Amino acid sequence: MEMLRAPLLGRGKKRQKADPVTVELVRNSLIAATEEMKSVLMRTSYNMIIYEALDFTVGLFDRKGDTLSIGLGLPMFIRGMSNTVKAKIDYWGCKNIEPGDILLTNDAYTTGAHLNHLTFSIPIFHGGRIVAFSTCMAHWQDIGGILNGMTYDIYSEGLQVPHVKYHERGRLNRDVRDFIRMNVRRPDRAMGDLEAQLSACRVGVKHVEALLARHGAAAVQASLDDIMAQSEAEARLQVAAIPDGVYEAESQMDDDGVDIGRPVPIRVKVIVKGEEMTVDLSGVSPQVKGFYNSNAGVACAQVAFKCLALPGDYPINDGGFRPLKVILPPGTVVSALHPAPYRVWMTYPMTVVDTIFKALAPAIPERVIAGHHADLLTANINGIHPRDGRLWLYLGGLIGGGWGAKSDEDGMNGTICMNDGDTHNGPSEQVENKFPLLVHRYELRGDSGGAGRWRGGLGTEVEVEALAPINYMTRSDRVVNPPWGLNGGRHAKGNRIAIRRKGELTVFPGGKVDTKLAKGDAYIMSTGGGGGFGDPRDRPIETLKRDVRQGYVSLESAWKDYGVRFDPETLEPSAE
Amino acid sequence: MPSNLRIAADIGGTFTDVAAFDERSGELLLGKTLSTPGRLVDGITQGVAKAGTRLADAHLFLHGSTIAINTMLERSGAKVALVTTQGFRDIYEIGRVNRPDSFNLRFKKHEPLVERALRLEVKERLMYDGTVREPLDMASLEAVAGRIEKEGDVEAIAVLFMHSYRNAQHELAAKKFLEKRFPAAFVTVSSELSQEYREFERTSTVVANAYVGPRVHRYLEEIDAEARRAGFSGKFMLVQSTGGLYSLREAKQDCVRMMESGPAAGVIGTQAMCGIMGIANAISFDMGGTTAKAGVVRDGLALTSGSTMIGGYFTGLPLLTPMMDIHEVGTGGGSIARVSATGGLRVGPQSAGAAPGPACYGLGGDEPTVTDANLLLGRLAEDRFLGGEMKLDRRAAAEAIRAKIAEPLGLGDVEAASGILRIATASMSHAVKGVTTDRGLDPGEFPTLFSYGGAGPLHASMVARELRIPQVVIPAAPGHFSAFGMLLSDFRSDLVQSRFVRLDQVQLEELKRWFAELEAQGSAAVKDARLETRRLVVSRALDMRYVGQEHAVTVDVPLSAFSQKSKSSIKRHFDELHKERYGRGSPEEPAEIVSIRSTVTGIMKKPRLAEIQRGGPKASAGALTGERRVFFPGRGWAKCRTYRRAALKAGNRIAGPALIEEHASTTVLEPGDTLRVDRYGNLVISIGLS
Repeated sequence: MEMLRAPLLGRGKKRQKADPVTVELVRNSLIAATEEMKSVLMRTSYNMIIYEALDFTVGLFDRKGDTLSIGLGLPMFIRGMSNTVKAKIDYWGCKNIEPGDILLTNDAYTTGAHLNHLTFSIPIFHGGRIVAFSTCMAHWQDIGGILNGMTYDIYSEGLQVPHVKYHERGRLNRDVRDFIRMNVRRPDRAMGDLEAQLSACRVGVKHVEALLARHGAAAVQASLDDIMAQSEAEARLQVAAIPDGVYEAESQMDDDGVDIGRPVPIRVKVIVKGEEMTVDLSGVSPQVKGFYNSNAGVACAQVAFKCLALPGDYPINDGGFRPLKVILPPGTVVSALHPAPYRVWMTYPMTVVDTIFKALAPAIPERVIAGHHADLLTANINGIHPRDGRLWLYLGGLIGGGWGAKSDEDGMNGTICMNDGDTHNGPSEQVENKFPLLVHRYELRGDSGGAGRWRGGLGTEVEVEALAPINYMTRSDRVVNPPWGLNGGRHAKGNRIAIRRKGELTVFPGGKVDTKLAKGDAYIMSTGGGGGFGDPRDRPIETLKRDVRQGYVSLESAWKDYGVRFDPETLEPSAE
Repeated sequence: MPSNLRIAADIGGTFTDVAAFDERSGELLLGKTLSTPGRLVDGITQGVAKAGTRLADAHLFLHGSTIAINTMLERSGAKVALVTTQGFRDIYEIGRVNRPDSFNLRFKKHEPLVERALRLEVKERLMYDGTVREPLDMASLEAVAGRIEKEGDVEAIAVLFMHSYRNAQHELAAKKFLEKRFPAAFVTVSSELSQEYREFERTSTVVANAYVGPRVHRYLEEIDAEARRAGFSGKFMLVQSTGGLYSLREAKQDCVRMMESGPAAGVIGTQAMCGIMGIANAISFDMGGTTAKAGVVRDGLALTSGSTMIGGYFTGLPLLTPMMDIHEVGTGGGSIARVSATGGLRVGPQSAGAAPGPACYGLGGDEPTVTDANLLLGRLAEDRFLGGEMKLDRRAAAEAIRAKIAEPLGLGDVEAASGILRIATASMSHAVKGVTTDRGLDPGEFPTLFSYGGAGPLHASMVARELRIPQVVIPAAPGHFSAFGMLLSDFRSDLVQSRFVRLDQVQLEELKRWFAELEAQGSAAVKDARLETRRLVVSRALDMRYVGQEHAVTVDVPLSAFSQKSKSSIKRHFDELHKERYGRGSPEEPAEIVSIRSTVTGIMKKPRLAEIQRGGPKASAGALTGERRVFFPGRGWAKCRTYRRAALKAGNRIAGPALIEEHASTTVLEPGDTLRVDRYGNLVISIGLS
């Protein structure tokens, strides 16, 4: 549970005032520091999940482990690293952390996510004591464990690294290194990523040391306090603008991948009082049997909070989250306890974030967003390449989907889901060059956006033919439970998995599919749209006409969902 | 009598700059005039007149313009239809699905330049290796033509077929058909602009070309006609985004290639000037009213890249055309300083622009800017801006800074102005880091900051200090430097083709044959341009990656590597570059080629720069114009001598603090800096790093 603190401004001991110019210079330097840490990691890491999917976080933390600045690969990583640094401080105790140490863990229940997230921290000393930590988490391609299929506990997911010192007073701990090397499938690449992470941490150390040398420790401290106070003040202003009240909402996931078809409830409660907000996640489902568990509950609340209150506030720091309290009892699917499996931890939290927006919709309709497709919609595809007879592996899908409409804007078409940010799809021309696959189409999914005064964004659809036999597995969700609309807006179409065998289409009722395709067969993946906002009958005819002209909305849907009949030739609305 | 004059005209958003060079005397003539958006060609005519010269006397007329990029940014281009392979018309709207502004629920994607209703599909399909899976179906092409016809007012048509970089036949056949069917339309196909894989980026490139094409085409014809009317009978060439030149005929087809010609020409000028001065490695720093841009000259060559985003990374449209590698930050003289709701001091990226401009312009602006801070601190003079043509209002600057910054933050006016300058300097230094550290280059290996643009000389010393760069060069006429750079440019043809092949599985002879085919196209372009010189320089590069990686890097490969017996030297170049850029190379891992690149440069005869008059170490009395108090952040007020740049002579030395003033710019020498004037009139400043 996050502790609520007394506001810095206007109460208690008067804070020493920082020079505003120095504050701004320090603020820019923190952003530059984490940007350079990111850039070094991306440039020197070995696997593409890090440098193309940006599956990492870098950050600087104060001596207590609070976030000073983090450079995010993915938004959902907003909380995990600070928690990990705090856990390291708790475990070792400050007096046992020494210059030259490098602290490591990948404990899922600490980082909040799967075991692939190895997290390294280097303590930064000034005047003989710890002043900060430079930290880097990155997703390793492999951390051992079973390759395919469902996992039922953490042990089947790979190597667990407890709190260890990877370096101790500047000396490599060979036992730890060898232990890791022996337990991962591509040790050379893993060690390459490990070195890249250490380089990123060292860049952070260098920046903080330069900052201290340039401005002096007292001025830096005063500036950090001020930066956090500014973020906090901004957050308080934003929260204060939300009417006080208790707001609740509910949604559900399709299933946990084990008890197929049995929904998993997500209930959230948001309490707004004055300048403070409490997000209560006690009503989120207990942890589940399948690998969808995480300890990302606080992250969910913070992501939603940042989107609503501080979207443009950088660096991302813990000052901004002081007005936010999270109630999260242990044992929920987003605070899952040992030995719950975590491998596909990222799917559920996106829906939790959307549900928080849904709860707040009655209070601040102009600031929230209707539900989005909320799944990466990926598939593990592999087979033997006819060109060289070797096994090939491809993470298919990742095609982007629809985003929810807002009170004054249509939703975005074909955009990556909330868990990810600057993640790119792969060009079809490249896919065909590398793999025995032929992309038949990659297009917007007409009518998939929820109808509304403001229409939800469209999902996308890809149809891919196997030019040689393939294994195809996907663990998608939100197929049965589509993205919802707000304020009278309709729900969108949900995600969808289908295959075409010998020309015959099979649409699966759910998102968990594990099958083989013969040469000439095809898989079809479709992302959901975004929910609509407001009554569809209020959508202006001219706007709807434009939708029809562009094919975003079909003639049938214009009639069925919006109540307007257009002449198919002239696109003039008919009089009836 | 053969003409010896070459004229360059650079049309920017605010000013049109003309530089004319007399190749016999070495004399440089300059003219600066406000751009004339209504009819841009008038700005050229006026600028040429202002420089005191005539197009009729020139044998070479070089031109760079913002017309293409403005057409895109203002969304004022043609009505376009896009024709794609069946199943792929939406890739232009879907793009890469990324959401870089991750916490912004109002995040916007790129806005397509052609509506979905005019994105049309035809039946045809090539495989990844260029073989035909489904032939081009003329009936479906006919149907598409019918749809375009029905629309009535389509001005340009762009064509993108999958894998056309491996086999352009379908695209070319479609082009032939559409040109015949729509003789008035501007028809462009992706493979003529880029032969690189990545269908979204290639689509975006060909659509952008169609979008700006009709307007740029008309514009170029208009200038050509106007020049001919003025008696010009020489060669008219355009500046590309690489800073290289191309012919009028090419420019009328490949319009997107001139997108960033102005900024690129500045880097070309830096490259040429560095060559003359014997400087191998330098950073170009170009600061104007709204942005600061940095480029890199390494081992004597300006670094280029193969793609860019027009309109910024978040919502921009990608172009797969070669470009000067330039990093930009939104800090310029017009950048506005403000105090946020929660008490933070911010500088930029909002800019006061040219109108209303900084508060001191007296044009109604009341927001304090970087220029106002410079004025308040004595770094700019009230009565010498643009040679005294424009009076600056010191009181208005002081009032804006006091009311908007100093009072809300409880600072003194000077303290506030100094703070604005320090923050601006820090953010500009990030532009420089953007072109070095982010690319794995060590900024320490670039000991010269070459600074120009109206506001560059004013800030160069502070930026160099921030980055610990020991030397700054301010060229002659820094406010005209892009036009000057055009005079020193070469004819250039960049060719690229995607070829997915493992290095260990391709024959060296085959690789050489592919390059030879590309280079034949480049040589033909040079021949076609009928340059006075036939000296050609060919350079080669390969986009490569380790097998299994997604991301490729461009490796420059010296020609000598191809005359050896094995491919090991190619692999070595790749491993070394990978190590430099990414911290590690893997000589034991196999590599694959993604694309081959070749640049054919037709070396132009270069003008010989005139040397200025020599003088002693002490500047003449005529150069000294006075003295005023200037505030230097972190050090306080100091008495500063002011000098008139035009009166300085080669060999003069000046110790900081001092100000060197000229028509469109002021160079600030900080305490501890020392300056010498070289024989071409460049100000070479040794920065007093403590």
